[in-house]
Amino acid sequence: MDELDLLKKDWNKSTKKYPNLSKEEIYSIISKRSSSIVKWIFIISILEFILWTALSFFGDSTEVLEKIQANDFAFIYYTMIIISYIIIFVFMYLFYKNYRNIAVTENTKVLMEKILKTRKTVKQYVIYNLSMMALVILLGIIMELSTSPETQILLTDIESKGENNIFIFYLIITIVSLIAIAVILSLFLGFYYLIYGLLLKRLKKNYKELKIIANLE
Amino acid sequence: MKLDSEHNFVELLQKHQNIVHKICRIYTDNEHTHKDLFQEISIQLWKAFPKFRGDSKFSTWMYRVGLNTAITLYRKSLRTIKSQPIESVGYKLSHEDYDNTKDEQLKLIYEAVKKLNDIDKGIIFLFLESKNYKEISDTLGISEVNARVRMNRIKTKLKIQLNA
Repeated sequence: MDELDLLKKDWNKSTKKYPNLSKEEIYSIISKRSSSIVKWIFIISILEFILWTALSFFGDSTEVLEKIQANDFAFIYYTMIIISYIIIFVFMYLFYKNYRNIAVTENTKVLMEKILKTRKTVKQYVIYNLSMMALVILLGIIMELSTSPETQILLTDIESKGENNIFIFYLIITIVSLIAIAVILSLFLGFYYLIYGLLLKRLKKNYKELKIIANLE
Repeated sequence: MKLDSEHNFVELLQKHQNIVHKICRIYTDNEHTHKDLFQEISIQLWKAFPKFRGDSKFSTWMYRVGLNTAITLYRKSLRTIKSQPIESVGYKLSHEDYDNTKDEQLKLIYEAVKKLNDIDKGIIFLFLESKNYKEISDTLGISEVNARVRMNRIKTKLKIQLNA
């Protein structure tokens, strides 16, 4: 192909035109920080963890805590806290491992596969967080229904008026809770989309190109 | 020990910096993004340097790390931003590097190359660097046959672009 030959000739000729950095300039460059996507995913996951933990300290939750401790929910509550911390640390470790594993020295295809794995981990992390949140809301509602004295009075009141009424009452509660969960989850989904979605988008573009390679083989 | 290897690395990179500049030329459109990608590749090279065992040539290793950075790790959005300069690293690139030819046809070819996707750019870059298909396939992790097929497709793509 004539055009390619022409290009190659010009390419080899133009070698002299490139800047020639001194050793001092190269020293100053490598002392700067890297900005790769995977590193940011790792950093953001830690920042997020710190944010939630800090919020839970600032929030006025003593009243809720007393309520929890006064009831049978204490066991469930503390088990859930412990399990969720373990899971969050596991995810942080996975993010760190992904970050370490992304070795530029592999060939491009292997590197891309690792990037895909990172994408998957982030998605699992978001799904986990959202389902945990739904579970917490659900438990909160159940706790409120079964322990709060006002609700107990209300319940007996409704019950005394007929069996159908109690059914309708629970139906309404279920619908309202589902709507509340849906609203809260979509808010958080939006939040996650903002912080991770944009990073993942960049990784996705690479994935598409990888697919093109894979299809050829 | 650390200082020693740093000194070693800087010396090697300084000697072979043209490879990085050439990758930047294929993957970026202007001086700022060139500098930015140059910086990112240098950092990735430095980070990966402890893993460099010398069983391949330093330059071969640079091709791999440099292309990987350009294709997968570099923040693409920066390539299109043409506003303020990222902090000056202290060297100048003449604008002619990006507009270096009076030859209308060459200009068109460079433009057509810029339109290729990132992996195709990598293949054509290695081709321009006179790498054989074995080396191209090793660097990108595809089979030799695939590298050939893709090179042929690139040629067709360029031809279509140029005759349009």
